[in-house]
Amino acid sequence: MPSKHPLIKHLGLSFLVLLISLFVLFLTVNFIEDIFESPQNYFDGSMTQARVETIIIYGAGVAISILFALTIYLLLTGQTSTELYTQSTTRWLATEREKFRRIYDDAPVPYLMLDSEGKIYEPNKATLRFFGVPPEKINLQGLFSFVAEEDKKKGEELLQNYKSGIPVNREEIRIKGANDKRRWILLSILEMKEPLTKKGVGLVTLFDITEQKQLEKAKTEFVSLASHQLRTPSATIKWYSEMALSGEMGELPSKSAEYVKKIHSTNEEMIGLVDILLNVSRIEMGALPVETKGVNVRELAESILSELAPQIAEKKIEIVKSMDTAAENIKSDPKLLRIVIQNLVSNAVKYTPNGGKITIALEGSGMEKKISVADTGYGIPAGQQKEVFTKLFRAENVKKLGSSQGTGLGLYLVKSIVERLGGRIEFSSEENRGSTFTVTL
Amino acid sequence: MNDKKKILVVDDDEGLRTVLVDKLNISGFEAVFAADGEEGLEKALKWHPDAILLDVIMPKMDGFEMLGKLRDDEWGKRAKVIMLTVLENADSVAKAVEGTAQGYLIKTQHSLDDVVAYVKEVLNKK
Repeated sequence: MPSKHPLIKHLGLSFLVLLISLFVLFLTVNFIEDIFESPQNYFDGSMTQARVETIIIYGAGVAISILFALTIYLLLTGQTSTELYTQSTTRWLATEREKFRRIYDDAPVPYLMLDSEGKIYEPNKATLRFFGVPPEKINLQGLFSFVAEEDKKKGEELLQNYKSGIPVNREEIRIKGANDKRRWILLSILEMKEPLTKKGVGLVTLFDITEQKQLEKAKTEFVSLASHQLRTPSATIKWYSEMALSGEMGELPSKSAEYVKKIHSTNEEMIGLVDILLNVSRIEMGALPVETKGVNVRELAESILSELAPQIAEKKIEIVKSMDTAAENIKSDPKLLRIVIQNLVSNAVKYTPNGGKITIALEGSGMEKKISVADTGYGIPAGQQKEVFTKLFRAENVKKLGSSQGTGLGLYLVKSIVERLGGRIEFSSEENRGSTFTVTL
Repeated sequence: MNDKKKILVVDDDEGLRTVLVDKLNISGFEAVFAADGEEGLEKALKWHPDAILLDVIMPKMDGFEMLGKLRDDEWGKRAKVIMLTVLENADSVAKAVEGTAQGYLIKTQHSLDDVVAYVKEVLNKK
């Protein structure tokens, strides 16, 4: 910013100098005059009357001089200050312009300008590096002629949008960069008006996201590969043990049958674990898409209960259903909601001793729907309740049971999914009395 | 002449296709297998099975490609096809089978008895 106005800065000093100069002048003139007119009177002091008059005349003269000088000064400094102001503003603008130019030219992000037809001008250095060409090869070329064939259609749409003034903001598109390599770009065009011609032009940023894209792809491929590689052997164990147990290939000796049964049930646990593990990785990678449609919660709960029927029957657990049928149809992602309810119910079954009771309730009030699963199980120790939804958490009291079933991932997954679905989960629990988990959607 | 229904199992995993073929044969079908899409297509067009159990991810020619080629054939147009998948592909399979296959089964979630029941259901449908 320009400094203080020069008039204000110098006013005090100039005024003081002026006063002193005038005062000295006055004294000198007065003194010389007195001496020359009557030297002896001056020295014996009888000229007092005359001196007083002289002082008055000179005083008036001085006052007029000061006013006059001040007026001239103000006029002069006023003019100078405007000049000074203009000068410093120009300097400031030049500095800012230089800063901007340096940012534009030397930024690591490709910037370029687009004329109203979509042709490139003023590409910065990063743009030249990006396309791997000298300026003359790129100036006045259509930006969208560099779009990769795969995205030509999208490129044409974006060009039309630009021409008709529809904002182009962070559009993902593939562009042919240096050595004809495809790069994934986030394309943004900031619309501007050229000050002189008033023509619409665009400031373009090409933000290279190729590496991000590759990483995303690698992650998705890894999960997909891992899941396929893990599930195929699981399916093989599942079907072979089923076949062996069915007796269709000949009866197994009873001890062998018991062993194969154990193989089968452990494999089922592993299938469940792989599902949880893959879902957790997907959640953490942000790769779990939510597809909202109509879901019937009651039917969903029924189907989960029938899947878990063998374990429920084995532990002689009583199931109580308290479903408000008026609230059973909701909008949510059926697959994700299934994972949530499945985990809550199977936890309840796992952590409720034989002969216990599980209550599944559904109620709706206004837009909100509450799904709750209550059990009469081991509960969560008060001191550990804060950590219930943290990854790999397992309560001390159930660890002591020696059960190998818990992974410490289920409730972490449940909470993550409920939040993705825009809901919340709460619970209350008392050790040896049971737990109630409530999902509000 | 036997009146057993003919089932072709196309899966690159030897363990899975073996147990599937055994189970189907025990359950009163006449089942044979093919180890990839190419072999599967060839056998299907020659043997005209009543139903085809078709895996998705396979070398040489995957399940979708084989299904596409099958539908180009005059007989293959009306062949009954059940896709076999792991959970990972369930969504894409569910979308892909709409209108092109008779249904799909998720390997880790369905038991062999489920598979047999489903094959019967599909065979009974017009």
